[in-house]
Amino acid sequence: MKMKKKSVSEWVKSGDPWVWLNAGAVAISVIMVVGLLLLIAVRGLGHFWPADVVETHYALPGDSEYNLVAERVESVEVPAAQLREAGINIPDEHQLMQRTLMKTGNRDVYGSDFRWVIDEYLTDSKRPEMLFTAERREWGNLYGYLKAVKEDGKIVSETTDLTPTDSAMATWNTFEKSIERAAVIFDEIHEIEKKDIGKINYALERIRLEQRRLELENKLTPAAAADLAAERGQYDEEYKGLQQSLIDLYAKINRDTFVVQVMDGSEHEMPVAKIVHAYRANAMSVPQKMGFYFTKLWEFLSDEPREANTEGGVFPAIFGTVMMVLLMTVLVTPFGVVAAVYLREYASQGWVTRIIRIAVNNLAGVPSIVYGVFGLGFFIYFLGSGIDQAFFPEALPSPTFGTGGLMWASITLALLTVPVVIVATEEGLSRIPRNVREGSLALGATKFETLWRVVLPMASPAIMTGVILAVARAAGEVAPLMLVGVVKLAPSLPLDGNYPYIHLDQKFMHLGFHIYDVGFQSPNVEAARPLVYATALLLVIVIALLNLSAVTIRNHLREKYKSLEM
Amino acid sequence: MSDVKTHSIDISAMQRSQQALRIEDETVCLSVNDLHLYYGEKEALKGVNMVIPEKKVTAFIGPSGCGKSTLLRCFNRMNDLVDGCRITGELNLRDQNIYAKGTDVAELRRRVGMVFQKPNPFPKSIYENVAYGLRIQGINKKRLLDETVEWALRSAALWDEVKDRLHESALGMSGGQQQRLVIARTVAVKPEVLLLDEPASALDPISTLKIEELIHELKSEFTIAIVTHNMQQAARVSDYTAFMYMGDLIEFGDTNTLFTNPSKQQTEDYITGRYG
Repeated sequence: MKMKKKSVSEWVKSGDPWVWLNAGAVAISVIMVVGLLLLIAVRGLGHFWPADVVETHYALPGDSEYNLVAERVESVEVPAAQLREAGINIPDEHQLMQRTLMKTGNRDVYGSDFRWVIDEYLTDSKRPEMLFTAERREWGNLYGYLKAVKEDGKIVSETTDLTPTDSAMATWNTFEKSIERAAVIFDEIHEIEKKDIGKINYALERIRLEQRRLELENKLTPAAAADLAAERGQYDEEYKGLQQSLIDLYAKINRDTFVVQVMDGSEHEMPVAKIVHAYRANAMSVPQKMGFYFTKLWEFLSDEPREANTEGGVFPAIFGTVMMVLLMTVLVTPFGVVAAVYLREYASQGWVTRIIRIAVNNLAGVPSIVYGVFGLGFFIYFLGSGIDQAFFPEALPSPTFGTGGLMWASITLALLTVPVVIVATEEGLSRIPRNVREGSLALGATKFETLWRVVLPMASPAIMTGVILAVARAAGEVAPLMLVGVVKLAPSLPLDGNYPYIHLDQKFMHLGFHIYDVGFQSPNVEAARPLVYATALLLVIVIALLNLSAVTIRNHLREKYKSLEM
Repeated sequence: MSDVKTHSIDISAMQRSQQALRIEDETVCLSVNDLHLYYGEKEALKGVNMVIPEKKVTAFIGPSGCGKSTLLRCFNRMNDLVDGCRITGELNLRDQNIYAKGTDVAELRRRVGMVFQKPNPFPKSIYENVAYGLRIQGINKKRLLDETVEWALRSAALWDEVKDRLHESALGMSGGQQQRLVIARTVAVKPEVLLLDEPASALDPISTLKIEELIHELKSEFTIAIVTHNMQQAARVSDYTAFMYMGDLIEFGDTNTLFTNPSKQQTEDYITGRYG
């Protein structure tokens, strides 16, 4: 016993328990982070995989049997008692039952996309090759068998087979060609609506504001009015031309329709133009599925959202996030550095400076929503409406800067992160060896020249560290943004081809807010859930990339200005 | 190592052979009149009176904390950077009191260059280090810069070692090279006075020897003041020596006389190693 006690105390003395404790803490942190990333990656990325579609029969005890065509989403085990309470007649011998969420799609036909089934009562499951999934521009997915394709109401190809016979395949091929054709026309329409008409609308709005401005300044002479009217007439003419081509295109795109047989056996006719993709998942090989998967993933990254953000891509949100963070960085870096230089280099180090420093440090701990409220109250309502009255009176009463927008969001976040940059820069300045400063001063440099040419370059890695922390904090912040300019769906990107190219007054989309919106505000929560994970993963990746670029710059600077080894 | 030894003996022998120098014969470059310096309450210099002769090497010796570095840092007002430092008395560069109100300190420091104990090159290329002082003065003409950089590096006996890597970082050089680079950087702005604050104390013997040779070379063009706690070094490189103790200038005179025939007991005690 004595021996053992001694060995324990020796073990403690040797420092091993300490090492184990440290290593354990590190291991737990790493496991948690990796676990988190894995969870959101698996849940989020799985969404894009073209899942098999099952056709099966389902009948609860005592109910009539019906046909079910659906994708499996997830399975949980539930106590039978719970199901009995819900009014399902389950025989007494069952304790636990497997319950599965099936995505049946066809929301326009059945009213909802999903239903829960109890696995026990599924019979006769199969995966027919001709069963297809269609992603639509509205109403979510469609599952069913293709029966016919029509052009201008006339059948061009039809089949009665539900198996891949020649006639079924011929109809399917006609269908695919028709979708392709519709997609090309759709792109044209989109181009005209978004770009050309957008440009005309922008110009018309500009003319309207110009006219209003002249009116306010009492300079609206008949000649000026005539000029503006002429200009407007020109755009109106152009608009009419575009509208005519749009009408033609719409007629073209709506030429084709198809007939689909859904799971209850009923047949429905729908326009081909509503379809984004159609595929027969059960007939696809793994490489085909992979190809499809990456197409979908790319679409997620590069497309605009559809259907209240529950379908389509998140490109505007990525763009908004990155742009806001970059603007924030551009604002916060000089401001923070200048403040830190004053505090560390010029201010006399008395109690006032000390109090300011403490205040700055504490500012970093203020909850972000408070900054949002401040941004709304001060920047938007006070500064913004001031700017509107001084510079944009012609647009009133509709606000230009007197409402949330990219600029106010960036400034609010810059304010939120400026303490981080100040603290990091001060830290960096205090680490510059005194003898290097003296070396510069002894050569006849003034304090400013020494700071500008020697001290700040040497402190630049530390400044970058501050910027990295600021970027990490700002990119993930959502709460204040909801008050100062982020919206669920922005009609256009804050950067486009219309003068002045960067629209700082525009509202924008943000990945963090997108997660919140899709997860909590969506009309179709089940369908949106995988997108929540996917968007979360994307947000992490975007922040990681932003940080990585900052870290690369910092390492480069570190290499360049590595501090003296003496 | 034996090489070094014989060489250093040569230099001191050369010194001894010279006739005793007389401070009265020299042109005065810097003169110090009743200079007191206080760090807060503590008096670090207690009324120093002396002159630094033109185009000669003046060495300051004395035990640690005697005020020799402090005095040296008065010559280019480096003590201004120390909080709570206060100075009374007069310090004239030629006829101009450098502590007079309205003195352009940056201009003064350009005229009175300083090399510190530890080599302190900037984290820039060798070329940019030497050109720094010139760029500060607004000189940006490439030809002029190139010429001055080469001249300065040659003056610091560094040109041959670095001419092929002028645009590499100065931080990759050895300590001795760095210190000569700092000397070149200081020389490049063509100051009137060079202050050397223990320039060789952080260096190995060979680098030390090179610095000492350099001081000999530079003396023809610059007035040099050097602080050292190595008495052999003071004897080898200087024409005049000042011995300081506890903030007082105890003895000041021609180096040969001070080392061979000191007039004060304290000086003799110090140079014979009885204290310090």
